[in-house]
Amino acid sequence: MGRLVRASGFERFLISASALLLSVLIGAVIVLGAGRMTSCETAAYTLAFPGAFVTQFVGGDALFAMGFCYDPIALYDLLFLGALGDILNDPTNGQFATTIAETTILLFTGVAVAVAFRAGIFNIGAQGQLVMGALVTGVVLVYVAPPLAGLGVFAAVILLPLGLLLGAFAGGVYGAVPGALKAYADANEVITTIMLNFVATSIALFFVSREQFFKDPESFANQTVSLPDVAMFPELVFRARDDVSLLALAFGIAVLVGVWYLLRHTSFGYDLRTSGLQPDAAEYGGVDADRTIVSSMTLSGALAGIGGAVYVMMVLGNFQPGVPSYGFDGITVSILAGNNPLGVGFAALLFGILKSGSIVVQVGSDVPPALVGVLRGLIILFVAMPEFFRMAGRKFGSFHQPGEQPVATDGGTGGGVDE
Amino acid sequence: MTQTDTAVRLDAITKRFPGVVANDDVDLAVERGSVHALLGENGAGKTTLMNVLYGLYQPDGGRVVVDGQPREFDSPRDAIDAGVGMIHQHFMLVDTMTVAENIALGNEPRKWGGLAVDSEATRREVVELSDRYGFGVDPDQTVADASVGVQQRVEILKALYRGADVLILDEPTAVLTPQEVEDLFDVLEELTDQGKTVIFITHKLGEAMHAADDVTVLRDGKNVATVDAADTTREELAELMVGREVVLEVESRATDVGDVVLDVDSLSVLDDREVPAVTDVSFAVREGEVFGIAGVDGNGQAELVEAITGLRDPETGDVAFDGRSVTDDSRRERIEDGMAYIPEDRQERGLVMDFDLVENAILGSQHSPSFSSRGTIDWQQSREHADAVVDEYDVRPGNPDARAVSLSGGNQQKFIVGREFERDPRLVVATHPTRGVDIGSQEFIHDRLLELRDEGRGVLLVSSKLDEVQGLSDRLAVMHDGDLMAVVDPDDITEEELGLLMAGEYPEGYEPRDERDAMEVPQ
Repeated sequence: MGRLVRASGFERFLISASALLLSVLIGAVIVLGAGRMTSCETAAYTLAFPGAFVTQFVGGDALFAMGFCYDPIALYDLLFLGALGDILNDPTNGQFATTIAETTILLFTGVAVAVAFRAGIFNIGAQGQLVMGALVTGVVLVYVAPPLAGLGVFAAVILLPLGLLLGAFAGGVYGAVPGALKAYADANEVITTIMLNFVATSIALFFVSREQFFKDPESFANQTVSLPDVAMFPELVFRARDDVSLLALAFGIAVLVGVWYLLRHTSFGYDLRTSGLQPDAAEYGGVDADRTIVSSMTLSGALAGIGGAVYVMMVLGNFQPGVPSYGFDGITVSILAGNNPLGVGFAALLFGILKSGSIVVQVGSDVPPALVGVLRGLIILFVAMPEFFRMAGRKFGSFHQPGEQPVATDGGTGGGVDE
Repeated sequence: MTQTDTAVRLDAITKRFPGVVANDDVDLAVERGSVHALLGENGAGKTTLMNVLYGLYQPDGGRVVVDGQPREFDSPRDAIDAGVGMIHQHFMLVDTMTVAENIALGNEPRKWGGLAVDSEATRREVVELSDRYGFGVDPDQTVADASVGVQQRVEILKALYRGADVLILDEPTAVLTPQEVEDLFDVLEELTDQGKTVIFITHKLGEAMHAADDVTVLRDGKNVATVDAADTTREELAELMVGREVVLEVESRATDVGDVVLDVDSLSVLDDREVPAVTDVSFAVREGEVFGIAGVDGNGQAELVEAITGLRDPETGDVAFDGRSVTDDSRRERIEDGMAYIPEDRQERGLVMDFDLVENAILGSQHSPSFSSRGTIDWQQSREHADAVVDEYDVRPGNPDARAVSLSGGNQQKFIVGREFERDPRLVVATHPTRGVDIGSQEFIHDRLLELRDEGRGVLLVSSKLDEVQGLSDRLAVMHDGDLMAVVDPDDITEEELGLLMAGEYPEGYEPRDERDAMEVPQ
């Protein structure tokens, strides 16, 4: 574990890559095992010795052969490459569009969780903050958008930023609540944010399922009235029905860079990182711990809330309860990225690929969805765990060997944190 | 094993790290049954040398001879098997387990064919061992409840339990109170009487002379000399350590004392357990003087300083800074008003260990206009500042991109002192400013402190080092049990009288002080 804590960037990349490979190998074994336990007409995959490659020249049958109902190679091919679709011939194909859409929303929740993490706060509530952001954006835009619809492009110029602001505001307020509870009432943020997730879902359902509030009276489903097209992110190069927008993706990437800049180059970011790393040192340096907790939770909530706004304005076109678990996936994305805002981009892409790839697998093979879920989970678990232990090791461990002190190896009183 | 008079011999050990030679051709011979002190400044290569002996490092040249046999240790495990044990500065104990369990951990006697730990046998063996060397530890005490001194004994017992004949102690006194230090030296004597060999690392002259039979001085990775402790003087050792004559006494008194810059009025403060730690303390610090507070650690100095610097809310009383009450001001406001503060705990408070020095250079000034404008930090400015501090205060390695955690304790301290001194403060609150710092740098820090004073800034100096606090202070208060016993003229008081006051007794001629004495500045 000490080695893990001290691993360099390249080593970390190697670790992640080999973890990915290992998870695929183990997943393949599971797929084969599951394939033996099911019954099917013809084997999708056959292990034989000597293999077909030899027997086709030599003639005769394999000495040993075993059939499996699922083909692990084809499955992983679908999972990873399926997410890209036929990208060479049709760069805007539906599969790839789904990948991009999923990635876009995870950028926001991932960076939301990362900001809180860097401040030393475990924000499990990104889901609730995202729901609140989505709800407020969807509900308010329904009233604001129609009168402006005639303005065309100008309406979009007003409505898109407004929608994002609404999402940020709602999510920010909803994140500030557990922040204030932690700062001024000493309430553990893990507990409060988890509870507030349920509260958010219930609030959303309450308002969207009653016609006297915001339910679309024309619809049987619990949902709000659809937004006019001018209030939606323009799809740009993608097809309209794929619910994806390069503009939203670009905005997401800009937000990542902005958050990175905020953390690295501003006094507020300095306060936030110091609080997260060493609360006592932050206090010594004049950082108001309570205020930093509230403001970083507000920021985190606002980022998740923007994710909700994007979800409404890019994917749904209205608000529907039963929001997918983007907020929870954001936690894993953040851990995968080592809580680095720029790393969130890559982690979210991996998640996007897996999400869209599993849809392809479900459609393109008879492998049950539950098994695909297992494979996805394995990959995420394997790739995230080294980074997770690294974080834990940095926080709690004592892995600074004397070798870390190249010149002044000689302690004085208490050299290094721990030896 | 053949018995020889030399328990450990190091022949021409060389150990290099990227860009630096930590040990350069070092010879060392340690006589069996002796206490051998390894003396040197921070960064002289003492710990590196011992890590080579303990198998943590493999030398680039030279050889290790234990009991007359050349050895190659690939890991501490090999060293332990050869009878070499090391006790690090930071104890490696399991807090929730008992003393006996910790000592036997990993080597417990077994029962039921090795399936279970025989805790009775463990306890018996530990008691036996403890009694043999007169350690007097309670085997059933939980380590978390044991004092630091006891924990250190547990570490020593752990090494003995594993069969160590040679014990290496890395700065064993750094964490101990003066009384515990004495007890430790008694233990070391008992160990050597029974044939064990002890090597201890220190940068304190007094300890080396007091507790060791032989003293080896390392400087810049080289063995400068090995001398007989009985035949040497403090001055000789100090000279060997720094390679030049040092003046141990600081003598210069305030000449130009100005207005009151810090006025503490009837301050009472609670500690973390909500127990009164400071009761009704009043004093004042003026511009251009050093006001010292002497006392045994743990008599309320820490809480008093935290209340002054804004890290702890006082129960009652008032702190005025520059003639204005700051009792309700935040820590940040006090920093911005010009209060510099060298904290007692540098690794928890003074530095963010995961930050590099450039980032650490602006801790406390991250919002100040000198390092940021409109909320954006000017990293170039910060880097220049870090460079300047590293340069002037001789922080090694001289690389501002090094993370704070990679610096040795003394160098961390120098960096903090430099950062705080260069803040252009109105008042410097310095707690143990030279703790863990080598002699050369101590002198420099003292000089800078007096320079600041002569520039007309107020200095509140809290230190448990008597020579430091007596040598630097213009007025000296003695703190005992949360109260100031007396404010004295450091030139007129003897060490014995100070000792009595620190112990809470009034020597002849001293009276319990009147509260407003503090305002009388002796001319």
